[in-house]
Amino acid sequence: MTTLTAPPAPAATSPAGTGRRRRRRSGANLWLTVLLILASVFTVVPFVAVIVLAVTPEGAQTIPQRLPDEVTLDNLSAVLSASSFLRWTLNSFIYSIVSVVVILLTAAMAGYAFARKRFPGSNALMWSFLATLMVPAQATLIPMFVLVSRMEGVNTFWGLIVPTLANSQAVFLMRQFIKGLPDDLFDAAKIDGAGEWTVFWRLVLPLTKPVLATLGIFVFLWHWNDFLWPLVVAQTDDMRTLTVGLSTLNAETIARARIMASAAISVIPCLVIFGVLQRYLVNSIATTGLKG
Amino acid sequence: MTLQRTAPPRPSWRDRVRDPGWGLIFVLPMLVLFVIFRFVPSLGALGMSFTDYRLSGDFSFVGAENYRRLIEDDLFFDSLRVTLLYALMYVPLTLVVSLGTATMLHHVVRGRGLFRGLLFLPYVTSFVMAGIIWIWIYDSNGLANGLLERVGLGPVPFLTGNQAMVLGSLAIVSVWKSFGYSMLILLAGLKNIPEDVIEAATLDGAGAWAKFRRITLPLLRPVIFFVLVIETIVAFQVFDTIYVMTGGGPARASYGLVYMLYDQGFKFFDFGYAATIGVMLFLVVLVISLVQRYVLDRENT
Repeated sequence: MTTLTAPPAPAATSPAGTGRRRRRRSGANLWLTVLLILASVFTVVPFVAVIVLAVTPEGAQTIPQRLPDEVTLDNLSAVLSASSFLRWTLNSFIYSIVSVVVILLTAAMAGYAFARKRFPGSNALMWSFLATLMVPAQATLIPMFVLVSRMEGVNTFWGLIVPTLANSQAVFLMRQFIKGLPDDLFDAAKIDGAGEWTVFWRLVLPLTKPVLATLGIFVFLWHWNDFLWPLVVAQTDDMRTLTVGLSTLNAETIARARIMASAAISVIPCLVIFGVLQRYLVNSIATTGLKG
Repeated sequence: MTLQRTAPPRPSWRDRVRDPGWGLIFVLPMLVLFVIFRFVPSLGALGMSFTDYRLSGDFSFVGAENYRRLIEDDLFFDSLRVTLLYALMYVPLTLVVSLGTATMLHHVVRGRGLFRGLLFLPYVTSFVMAGIIWIWIYDSNGLANGLLERVGLGPVPFLTGNQAMVLGSLAIVSVWKSFGYSMLILLAGLKNIPEDVIEAATLDGAGAWAKFRRITLPLLRPVIFFVLVIETIVAFQVFDTIYVMTGGGPARASYGLVYMLYDQGFKFFDFGYAATIGVMLFLVVLVISLVQRYVLDRENT
């Protein structure tokens, strides 16, 4: 489909020079397409391999030597019927979705305050929020863990979730977007006598829907794929998230097909997000620079 | 959107007086989170680095003992060297791959959206998932060695060979997983280059390579620089793939800085010492950011 070439331009109507250039261009374009196909093979083949390995019967001959003779869903169903895998999946969903909801709400509130309200120290506060971007999460891992364990938060959902909610990127993004909204809207609401909460719920939140959606996708991906914090704070099997659970499977001597089946299932939510929102996700990186 | 019209318009001075309070109320939830889980741990890391904090919670102040121990610890300098070596492989490789693919996407006529999507795909997975797949790819019975076997090359010990081999293999996994981000940033940069500049060069008879070197690259420099800084910082934080794929091995060949921090903290429960390594990590990232500021300021004046 992508290798279809453009219909050749009618030679009679175009001067010779343009014709030659066009031919050269379509030659270059063919090369570009070939190189892009190769690059796409590099990014996509590992995913295909996971799926093939996940449906290969245990112990059967498989890739890279040859394709498996038969496919089976046994590995997938074995993974799904193992109680801890479903538990990890549930934990990952709780970790990601609670984080999305709370971060969107608190970041929208803080962003609104920084964009539209003057209060003592608002600028200094905004800058101190941004300054925390300079401190890598790994650098504060130890004191964070000590803090949470002193508050008895190890192996609890709040201990897992709450420390990851202070997100300066989210606040800054919301502030920039709300700052760009027309003043008239807020003036009109004031004149209509709308209270502060009404303005926030009826004006700010609906108007920031596009940026909330973008932020929501990113926060979901960040948390779904997060590893180091869940690794140290979720120590019992029933508190593990999918990434941590997968890493423990990997360390045990479990059949490769089983591990691959787990990996294949764990990536589904991200692939669904990607499939549905790809264009959106891709454009928002270019415009906001949000980084996972 | 129906706003209530029942209340009479309030005088604007009252709003202005009330604003300070409301601003604080709206910022309060995030502020509490930041104070407890960002500001306190940041200062805490510094404070803990001057103690011998242990798992039990007992500690006493030991002055600069942790720092003295650090600069005498070969393990620390080895981990710094491992991380630097890794960064020296990962950063250029990411730049080449993302700049190459971004340029191709920018010029290709058909299927741009499709290719962009396929190239970006690995970005939505986790490093853990990437590590699990690539362990198989690097396995002696895996994809990479299977392909090498076809062309008559012996099994390559990707994850068990010498240090350069192992770190290079880990760098490739990270490039695979995350070059899509830099690719999109660079692609946006390419789109911002005014077309008439390129057109003018074409009319002057400049070839594709000359145009790329003499026009595209110089105009893209700020974006390339941004990508270099971001990816260098990311490289110094490498952990997930090491944890999943090599466990710092073989023989500490991939024992990076963050892996050492984790190891000292959660294997030996030497929290004071691990916090000191965290402070060092912060300093490294700070230096990178300061260099960025310095270079950007110099360019702008």
